[in-house]
Amino acid sequence: MMIRTDGLSKAYGATAALDHVDLNVESGSVYGLVGPNGAGKTTLLGVLASLRAATGGSMQIGTDHIAVLPDTPHFDPWLSGREVVDLARTLGSSSTDPSRVDELLELSGIADAADRAVGGYSRGMLQRLGLAATLVGDPDLVLLDEPCSALDPLGRREVLDLIARLRGAATVVFSSHILADVQEVCDTVGILRQGSLIFEGPLQDLLVGSAVPRYLVRLRAPLDPVVAELRKVDWIQAVDIVDPEQIRVTAVSLDVAERHLVRALASADAPVVSLAPEAPSLEDVFLEVVR
Amino acid sequence: MNLWRLEWVRLFRTKRWIALLGVYLFFGLVGPLSARYIREILESFGGGVQVVLEDPVAADGIASYVSNAAQIGLLVSVGIAAAALTFDAKPQMGIFLRTRIARVWDIIAPRFVVMATAVAVAFTAGSIAALYESTVLMGSLPFAGWLAGTILGCLYLAFAVAVVAAVAGRSQSVLVTAIVSIGVLLLFPLIGIAPQIGEWLPSYLVGAVDTLVRGGEISEYWRAVGVTLALTAGSLWLAVRWAERREL
Repeated sequence: MMIRTDGLSKAYGATAALDHVDLNVESGSVYGLVGPNGAGKTTLLGVLASLRAATGGSMQIGTDHIAVLPDTPHFDPWLSGREVVDLARTLGSSSTDPSRVDELLELSGIADAADRAVGGYSRGMLQRLGLAATLVGDPDLVLLDEPCSALDPLGRREVLDLIARLRGAATVVFSSHILADVQEVCDTVGILRQGSLIFEGPLQDLLVGSAVPRYLVRLRAPLDPVVAELRKVDWIQAVDIVDPEQIRVTAVSLDVAERHLVRALASADAPVVSLAPEAPSLEDVFLEVVR
Repeated sequence: MNLWRLEWVRLFRTKRWIALLGVYLFFGLVGPLSARYIREILESFGGGVQVVLEDPVAADGIASYVSNAAQIGLLVSVGIAAAALTFDAKPQMGIFLRTRIARVWDIIAPRFVVMATAVAVAFTAGSIAALYESTVLMGSLPFAGWLAGTILGCLYLAFAVAVVAAVAGRSQSVLVTAIVSIGVLLLFPLIGIAPQIGEWLPSYLVGAVDTLVRGGEISEYWRAVGVTLALTAGSLWLAVRWAERREL
């Protein structure tokens, strides 16, 4: 286990920014921390990085080789990108091969701008530079606060690939409000709401546990007779037309739907092309959980 | 790149060294000139009024330099030191450094040493200019006294930089750090109005070069030197302690 917290709390006066958080992050995993604005994500990362002191509880971190990337990295504007990453290299571990600097500048997509002063970098470039500086020392634990928030789609793709590549080599905890990013690269998810960790576990558990009894059925037109027949079935709660060739069927339970949906479609003489359960997105589940 | 080289690079790439060296050199050159020609300057503005002043001596050139260096020079030095030592002014930069070093002292030490050295070099350059010009315009000065006084002046400036470091441990604003540091440094001459106390304070070292080129004894400064060294160490201790406690 790389991180284990027990009742971790952080209060600012009467306001609890973190409220008895029990966090468990496996070594080598990519852990996604999600939550609405003000949920305590940045505070939690700050406490884990020892940048803020907890006011209660305890935490155990399995390494002191930690690197942190804030959401809006800032560096001395008169340094070049290469100098920033090289400074991070020498501060992190002077034994790291200097060639790692160029390697990470290349991987982060800023090699072309490496010799320019960072004062002229865009926010997206600063985020890429920050990631290169974070990873150059080969840290055991990487804490990333909204690492893709300023990136264009291409940059986001590259950064997510970079994070995914860290799996197994380092433990990554990253907060994000872009749930698709979390769903793509994280194996474990923690959901924070008002300073409390209201869910923690494998992403799959969260999605399966929140599965709703909804199916998408692709049919050949016309749909109306089939829809009318299905709406007469007592265990079907709703039938919605998604597009001219697809309907969504909502049942009272997964169990009933799994046993009887195919028969109901056959009874309605439906020309079925395909049938699949509607998988909930992390966004759907997140909205469901934090409400 | 390391934290020591970073500070030298900061000094040169931000062109702060020009401001630092420029202000002390300017007063080092202008001070003796104004001391030598003060009578002529006043008469030219006096509309025919005759100004009676004692003939200037070479030490007056040094005194003129010291009085300006202790005011304008100190203000510029404190401002530049505050910009370097308030390393949490941008929290993201503070995070970058703090999460990569073992102790906060690793950040403060190079900033203090480089700034104190830069300020001392600038003060010494100005003092050399003042010595040269005073000698050319008004006569020779005792070199040993000048040298000892200049070293004591540098010691005071190193103390001033340490005070800035301590204040920066409590403040995350460069402007607030500079203003509070100036306030703290101004307290010493105010307290030192009482001569028995004044001889013990760091501010007593400011005028040492003037006194020593006039034949003063260096032994009268040992107490102030001791207190200055102790207060410098104390200020650096506070700088570390306060910076360690800050949350980002």
